[in-house]
Amino acid sequence: MPAASQIRVMVVDDQASMRAMIRRALQDFGFKDVRDKPTATEALPAIKTDRVHLVISDYNMPEMDGLAFLEAVRKDDVLAKTVFIMLTGSSDREVVQKAAALGVNNYLVKPFAPAALKEKIERVFGALT
Amino acid sequence: MRTIPIIQGEHAVVKDADTVISTLLGSCIAVCLHDAEARLGGMNHFLLGEPSPEHTLSELDLQRYGVHAMEVLINATMKAGANRQNLRAHLYGGANIIAGLGGIGTANAAFAKRFLETEGIAIGHVDTGGTRARKVEFRPFDGKIRARCVSDAPPPPKPDPTPEHGGEIELF
Repeated sequence: MPAASQIRVMVVDDQASMRAMIRRALQDFGFKDVRDKPTATEALPAIKTDRVHLVISDYNMPEMDGLAFLEAVRKDDVLAKTVFIMLTGSSDREVVQKAAALGVNNYLVKPFAPAALKEKIERVFGALT
Repeated sequence: MRTIPIIQGEHAVVKDADTVISTLLGSCIAVCLHDAEARLGGMNHFLLGEPSPEHTLSELDLQRYGVHAMEVLINATMKAGANRQNLRAHLYGGANIIAGLGGIGTANAAFAKRFLETEGIAIGHVDTGGTRARKVEFRPFDGKIRARCVSDAPPPPKPDPTPEHGGEIELF
């Protein structure tokens, strides 16, 4: 059973309010090392320099969207195995299918309850302690 | 002049000169976003989650609908051609119409203001609070807004129908 406190997380969303909500939820679950960036173009070099175990990224972002970000992560030799959970809008069925093809580990439709986020993370990492 | 009426949980974005977005508000909030340069804008109509009698929902639970409603509106206006830096927001609603509901309208208005400040979106006109319903009409092309108190009660607020747990497609 992985300890949440051992898992480093990068949250990427262009809305500061959403980043803050996710950070707070993760901290409530026991995560200690949570970073965040407003764009994928800033997050990508940041996780290359200082690696994380889990990326939680919005799909709908300016500059580089979540799919392009996921693709860049999967194509990078160092980052390829990073767990990637995508946040989408309710109408993004096609996006989810594309994300699955690109190797997303899980996805979550906004708006979501904190418990739903925890469940998605646990489906990948196992029950958190 | 064409009118697009919206109700709780909906939003509309308009960029033609002959269209007005309208809504009837009680304790809900409507945020009108306007980009004067792109001559377009949009309006939403939302309510935060309501506290349960047992207070089992956290503040985070209550706010997620509002954050989502705002994100959807911002994304839709940007998709239509707005520049986020140019957006100016006007707030309406948040009345405390039914006594004993714990100031839900006030909480909604406070949330909307806090959200806009956090996101760095300029706030223009604010007409919130009180005890009466409002009718709001917004013409996004030139940013003109008319808000007036009305005696018609808006439909009672409903919980957001969005499923608690994300995932309509079974992939994992």
